[in-house]
Amino acid sequence: MKSELFRRQTLALFFIVSIIPALIVGAVWYAFTTTNTLNFLLLDFNSFMLPVMMLGIIPAIILSFIFAEILARPVREIHRAIHRLAVGDFSRQFNIKGSGEFAEINVALEQVARKLEETLSQASSETDLIKAERGKLHSVLNSMSDGVFALDRSGRIVLFNKAACEITGRTITEVAGQLAEKVMPFRSNGELIMTRWLALGSGAEHKVGQWKGLELYRADGHSLTVNVEAVVLKDDPNGIAALVTFHDLTKSNQLEEMKIDFVALAAHELRTPLTEIKGYLDILHTEAKGLTKTQQKFLGQAMTSASQLGDLMHNLLNVARIEHGEISYQSEVIDYRSFLMDSAENIKERGTQQDRIITITLPKQPLLILADESALKEVIDNLVSNAITHTQPGTGRIDITVTARRTSIETAITDNGSGIPNHALPHLFTRFYRVDELKSATRGTGLGLYICKSIMEAHGGSISVESVEGEGSTFTFILPLHTVATNVVKDDNKRTITRGAHGWIKNNPVR
Amino acid sequence: MAGSKIILFVEDDKPIAEMYSRVLEREGYHVEFAYNGAEGLRKANAKHYDLILLDIMMPEKTGIEVLNELRGTDGSGNPDTKIVILTNLAQDKTSQEALKAQADGYIIKADIVPSQLASIIAKLL
Repeated sequence: MKSELFRRQTLALFFIVSIIPALIVGAVWYAFTTTNTLNFLLLDFNSFMLPVMMLGIIPAIILSFIFAEILARPVREIHRAIHRLAVGDFSRQFNIKGSGEFAEINVALEQVARKLEETLSQASSETDLIKAERGKLHSVLNSMSDGVFALDRSGRIVLFNKAACEITGRTITEVAGQLAEKVMPFRSNGELIMTRWLALGSGAEHKVGQWKGLELYRADGHSLTVNVEAVVLKDDPNGIAALVTFHDLTKSNQLEEMKIDFVALAAHELRTPLTEIKGYLDILHTEAKGLTKTQQKFLGQAMTSASQLGDLMHNLLNVARIEHGEISYQSEVIDYRSFLMDSAENIKERGTQQDRIITITLPKQPLLILADESALKEVIDNLVSNAITHTQPGTGRIDITVTARRTSIETAITDNGSGIPNHALPHLFTRFYRVDELKSATRGTGLGLYICKSIMEAHGGSISVESVEGEGSTFTFILPLHTVATNVVKDDNKRTITRGAHGWIKNNPVR
Repeated sequence: MAGSKIILFVEDDKPIAEMYSRVLEREGYHVEFAYNGAEGLRKANAKHYDLILLDIMMPEKTGIEVLNELRGTDGSGNPDTKIVILTNLAQDKTSQEALKAQADGYIIKADIVPSQLASIIAKLL
C-alpha cells in the first residue's frame, strides 16, 4: 500500500518536471505563429527560441535537484544510521525522514538496533563473567603452594602455575608447549613414572594416580623429592588431557631429618650420665662390704630408680621414633616358645628383685611366628613392668600364660594388683594416657601400652585388657602363627638382643 | 681362662672407660685403652686383641670408621678379633651400618650395667 503511494508520488514529480518546459515552449510557439510569419520564426529561431528553451530547462534542472534531494535525504540518513550501527551506537533514534518505505526502513533499523544492542550486551556480560572466572582460577592456581600443570592430548604443557615455577626453578615461557616428560620427568629409582601411566590412560575413562617420594630435578640440577597426583581427563572440552599436582617434600624431609638427628643426639647426651649412674651403682652394689640392711635398701632404691629413668627415656624416644616412622622391624621366623624360654630366667629374676612372684606357662610344642624379637621383648618388658608397678611387694603375683590357638598365639599377663577403673579401660592404649593422673602414686609416662599396641599392630596382632578394680588385670596380646612351618634355617647373622630395642650381639659369629 | 684374653677399649670418655674396665679386670681380662678413634686404630693395627670395644662418637675417627678400616671393604679383616660397638647412639641407621661393617655386636651403654657387659663378653670370647 505504502509503496504504491510512493510510486504515484514519484510519477507525479516526473510528470511535472517534464511537462513544465514543454508547456512553456508550446505557449511561446503558439503566440508567435499566430502573430508573425514563418520567415520571421525561421530567421529569428537562434536569437529567440534558444533563450526561451533555456528558460524551460533551468526550472527543470532546479526541480531535478529538489527531487534528487527529496530522494537522497532518506538514503543518506539510512547510510548514517547503518554507519552508527556499525560503530556500535544503538542508543539514538535514526530519524529517517519520509513516509512509506523510508518509515518502514526506520522502524526496521530501530528493531535491528534494539536486537543487536540486546545480544551484544548479553555477550559482553558473558565475557565479563568469563574474565572474572579466569581471574579467580588464576588467583587460586597461583596462590597454591603445590605445583600444578596441565597437559594437552599430545602431552605438552598448557598450564603451569606459580608454585610449579618456584619448585622447579623454571619459567612459564620455558615450559609452555614443551613435552611434560622432557621438562617434568618424575622418576622412581631412575625410572620414568608418569609418562607410561598417562599414555596408558589416553582414551580411557577418568582416572587418578598417586605417587609418593618421586624424584624430580630442578632447572639448576638439584634433586627434589615430591608426592604427585595426576588426573587423566576424558573428552575435556578445553582440550586438557591431564592435570598434575605435585608437592615438594624436600624441605619437610630436611626438617624431619634434622628433628630425628636432634632427638638422637639429645638421647645420646641423656644416656651418657645415666650410663654412669647405673654403672657405678652396679659396681657399688657388688663391691660395697659391710653395708647395713637400710643402706642396702637405699642402694637398691637408687638402682631401681635409675633403671626406671632408663625405661622412661627408652619409651619416650621410642614414641618419637614410632611417630616419625623411623622404627623398622626386622621380622624373621622365630620359635616363640624358645624365645620365651630364653627370656624366662631374666623375667623371673626381675620379679625376685622386686619381691614379686612371676610364673610362666608355655605350651609343649614349638610356636613359629614372624616377628622382631627385640620388639616382642619390648612388649613383654612393658607389660611385666606395669604388672610389677601395680602389685604390692610380698603379695604380688604375675602369671604369664601362653596358649596356642588354631591360627594364633595368645599371651596373657595376669596380675593380682590394684586393677583399672572401668572408665579408663577404653583409653588405656592411647598415647600419654594415664589413669587418674594426679591421684596416682605410680610413676610412668603413659607410653608403654601405646608402644605395645603399635608393635602388635605392626606384627599383625592385637592387644586387649580386662580388669576388675581392686582384684587385678589381665593384658592379652595375640600374634598370628607363621603358616609356612617348614624347616627354618637359622640365619648366622641372627641377633640376640641383650636389652632394649637397639642393641644386638651376633649369636654364632661366622668368622 | 679369661685371664689370657686381651681387650682394647676405645673410648674418649674416661670415667666410662674406667667404670667398665674395673669390672672387666675384676673378671680377669687384660684391658688396654685408646682415647680416640685414630689412637684406637693405631693400637689395633700394632698388636692382636681378642676383643675391641668401640665407642662411636669420638674425636678424629668415629667408631664406625675404625670398624670399617679394621674389617676392610670385604669385611674379612682381623678375623680373630671380635669387635663390639659400645655406644649410647641408638639409631637404627648406625646400628645397621655396624652390622654391615661386620661388627660382632652393638650394645647401648645405658641399657646395661658393667656386670652385664662382662657376661656378654664372656659368652662372646
